[in-house]
Amino acid sequence: MSILERFLSQVFARVQRRRKTQEFARELQADLELEAEEQQDSGVSAEEARYAALRAFGNTSLITEDVRSVWTTGWLEGLLRDLRYAGRALRKNPGFAVVAILTLAMGIGANSAIFSTINALMFRPLPFTEAKQLVRIFSTKYGALLTPNGAGRNGGPSGMDMRDFARNSHTFEQMVAYDTWRKNVSFGEGAGEPEQMQVGLVPPTYFEILDVHPLIGRLFTEAESQPGKNYVAAISVQLWERRYARDSAILNRKIRINDELYVIVAVIPDVIPEWMESRGRESGTIQVWTPLALSGIWTEEARGARGFSTLARMKPGVSLEQAQADLSTIAAALAAEHSIDRDIGVSVKPLAETRAGNLRPMLLLLMGAVSLILLIACLNLANLLLARNSARQRELALRTALGAGRAGLVRHLLAETLLLSLIGAAVGLLLAQFGLAALSRAHPKNLPQLDSLSLDFRVLLFTFVVSIVTSLLFGLAPALTGTRIDLADALKQGGRSGSSGPGSQRMRRILVVLEMAMSLVLLVGASLLTQSIVRLEHQNLGIRADHLLKGHFYLPGIRYSDPAAITRFCEEFARRVRTLPGVVEATVTTAFPPNNGWFQMLGIPEHPATRREDIPSAQFGVADAHFLTTMGIPLIRGRDFAESDNATSPPVALVNEAFVRRYFPTEDPIGRRMHIGPPAFLNIAPGSDISDSSDVTIIGVTGNFRNAGLVAPPDPHITVLYAQHPLVNYGFKDIVIRTTSEPRQLAAEIGRQLQQLDVDMPFAEVQTIQEVVEQQTGGQRFTTLVLSLFAVAGLALAVVGIYGVVSFLVAQRKQELAVRIAVGASRGRVLWLVLKQSLTMAAIGAALGLLGATAAQKLISGLLFGISPLDPATFAAAAIFLLAVVAAASAIPGARVLRLDPARTLRQD
Amino acid sequence: MTAKPSPNRTELLQGTLDMLILRTLLFGPAHGHQIAKHIQRTTVDVLQVEHGSLYPALHRMERKRWLASKWEMAKDRNREFKYYRLTPAGRKQLAHAESKWKQIAAAVARVMWPASEDPL
Repeated sequence: MSILERFLSQVFARVQRRRKTQEFARELQADLELEAEEQQDSGVSAEEARYAALRAFGNTSLITEDVRSVWTTGWLEGLLRDLRYAGRALRKNPGFAVVAILTLAMGIGANSAIFSTINALMFRPLPFTEAKQLVRIFSTKYGALLTPNGAGRNGGPSGMDMRDFARNSHTFEQMVAYDTWRKNVSFGEGAGEPEQMQVGLVPPTYFEILDVHPLIGRLFTEAESQPGKNYVAAISVQLWERRYARDSAILNRKIRINDELYVIVAVIPDVIPEWMESRGRESGTIQVWTPLALSGIWTEEARGARGFSTLARMKPGVSLEQAQADLSTIAAALAAEHSIDRDIGVSVKPLAETRAGNLRPMLLLLMGAVSLILLIACLNLANLLLARNSARQRELALRTALGAGRAGLVRHLLAETLLLSLIGAAVGLLLAQFGLAALSRAHPKNLPQLDSLSLDFRVLLFTFVVSIVTSLLFGLAPALTGTRIDLADALKQGGRSGSSGPGSQRMRRILVVLEMAMSLVLLVGASLLTQSIVRLEHQNLGIRADHLLKGHFYLPGIRYSDPAAITRFCEEFARRVRTLPGVVEATVTTAFPPNNGWFQMLGIPEHPATRREDIPSAQFGVADAHFLTTMGIPLIRGRDFAESDNATSPPVALVNEAFVRRYFPTEDPIGRRMHIGPPAFLNIAPGSDISDSSDVTIIGVTGNFRNAGLVAPPDPHITVLYAQHPLVNYGFKDIVIRTTSEPRQLAAEIGRQLQQLDVDMPFAEVQTIQEVVEQQTGGQRFTTLVLSLFAVAGLALAVVGIYGVVSFLVAQRKQELAVRIAVGASRGRVLWLVLKQSLTMAAIGAALGLLGATAAQKLISGLLFGISPLDPATFAAAAIFLLAVVAAASAIPGARVLRLDPARTLRQD
Repeated sequence: MTAKPSPNRTELLQGTLDMLILRTLLFGPAHGHQIAKHIQRTTVDVLQVEHGSLYPALHRMERKRWLASKWEMAKDRNREFKYYRLTPAGRKQLAHAESKWKQIAAAVARVMWPASEDPL
């Protein structure tokens, strides 16, 4: 029979057991009566016949036993029996059982929780039909992605390139380019408070690719994708409920986007998950869509305008490689035909892969850490079991003497660990559920993928496998060592062989040393990460980051088409805000540390350029005269902007030290003139992309402040006054306010001031600068928090382990220690003897742990900031901490030594 | 199995009992008692199957699916008995056991009577 057949037959046998054995009584009875009749036929009397029959058959109880054993042999029966015995043994030792189950619950629960997270981020199927065929298309330059980190959604080809891809490819059903923009939205005919939200600008193909059908209404038409005819909108079910009260006559109602009225033509179900369209800084699902109807896209001049978001569905049966090859061929043809596409390639990625974003290093780290925790838990339990098995030596010896083979004994012991593991896994799953629920509610804003963590069957299966493996890991060692029985010795009264023997003791010591090593690795990791986060968040941003509030507002082109009007609005708004009580200063600007993201090309006479690569450029920002004082940026040389610098006076600029170091390393920059804008030889029409074209004079040099994120050093930066540069005086503005007290308290009042100036204008993205920093480090903090928890748990387990071992050591050496004391050794010296043993173990464990931490440095280095993964101070501190903890944990049982009464100890046996 | 107290005592292995039972059932379904009686009669009382071996053997083979059982009314006695019959797997096992037995017997004969060509 094959293995499967054998297994099934075991199962069937168990099922049929009772029936078959009952049936046998009947069978035996029938045959007995037949025999009796035959006896009678051959002349025996009626009563004699019955006895004769019984005699002929022999011992019927024995026969019945033998038949029953036919239906109850097999390893399944044996296992079930052992499990029952194991349950009984655990109930008799509730203390041990509780400790073991809790330890296991922690280890297995943590594993399940982390795996659930990984599942949500990587394995769980996407909520779309045939999701395997959904991909995103990205542009590459010289082989590298345009938006390398995270592979989120931006960084796709230009509109014209996408059109050529769609026309010439044969492996795709449909593809689409789209975008999302921040816009002011108000609901109904101007009723209710406006909100600023991400609006999706999508051709109808977007929904077709995802196979999302409107709940009510219809998708956009091709005709509606033209500018002028695009005033239709689709809203989400969530928005329909929240702002339109689920009005059944929702179609043909209006929605106001950037002061233009759109007609609602569809309600879209909430199927598209948040991570698909979130951009990291802002989050939240898209709730409003309008047709993509930008006039500039479909012209040859716009072929270089890359960066769209893309979505595509491959034809059924087409593989990723085929699609990639298809598009690469087309991209090569485009590169040959259009100079702007030179060196531009294409990369196709499955949609599912973009889900995990740049969380990969964090996930790997957490997986490693959680495995360590489980290992520590297993080692602890192995230790406990080893200690416990020593008490069972006589029982096991008895079993052996009665005929149990070694395999049977091992199975018996393993059954106990299996039972513990299964119960521990069940409790662990409960813990994981709670933990995940808490995590979901508290997830960092820029990790929306974590908002729907749950247990599904994959997690349950994983948990089950882990618990089996665990039970083998911690059960095998004690089971094997515990069954090496010297019969004669063990059966003797008072025999102290087996688990008390040197072999088993050494095993326990090794286990504890390993525990401590792993604990140390976790400690080092947690410490490094914590130091990183602290350094990252307390980065010198180059400004005075306390008491700063920021908010965003947008002046729509419809009503503010004149840059002078924008200037007037911003200046009036800032003036009003400065008069509010609690406000020290306020400035209207376009960006604030730690990010910026707006670059301009420059024409610096001292650095003439003839090739594209040589053109000087810098980060660019527009502000007003209160910029430096609000932000707290130091002025190093020259002068600040003044109220006298206005639309009619000569344009001026402030540069930062990095700028001076790059472009004026030996000369004084003050008074030099520059041109802001691309050089003539590039032939870019002025105003057709976001470039200026004016000349400025440098009047001052400021200290560096972060403009390229928290980690990268500051780029050269140039700041000008928006009042002096109408070409780049756009409606998007931020206002930064310095307050005397808690910044948030003023948020509502400032919003009201804004609405007094323009009733339809929301005051959006209101945060303190501190919160902005924290938001960017969200993922990092999350990892640090979890790893720190693990480190604490690991240390706790190690402490329990060492405590157990030292207690046992002391108990075992009681005689010897008593003799030493009796012979005259001071108690201090005797205590030191005991401590020396555990400290030696700790030292070896620490050494191993440091080696392990060194080996694991690659795992963690990607997440560190400002500190090396081999930082000696951290290593040393962690090792010393471990030794101290071990010393403390050993001191408690060791103190018993001090209370030893040598006379009494030596008298008892 | 025991033999009547006679000079021809024969000791056989458990596997051989299985083979004999299977062979007996080749003729048609029978219940435990009938099988025992049949073997006794056919071997002219040389082999008497002990019931203590018979029933466990029958159930073992039933568990291995070499036999199938059914409760049927006996023709001549007005009572139900548990009749066993061969399954196709059982037939295969019988052929297998038979060929093994012949192999062993031939090997034994070669040792016992090396010169002669007589098969046992």
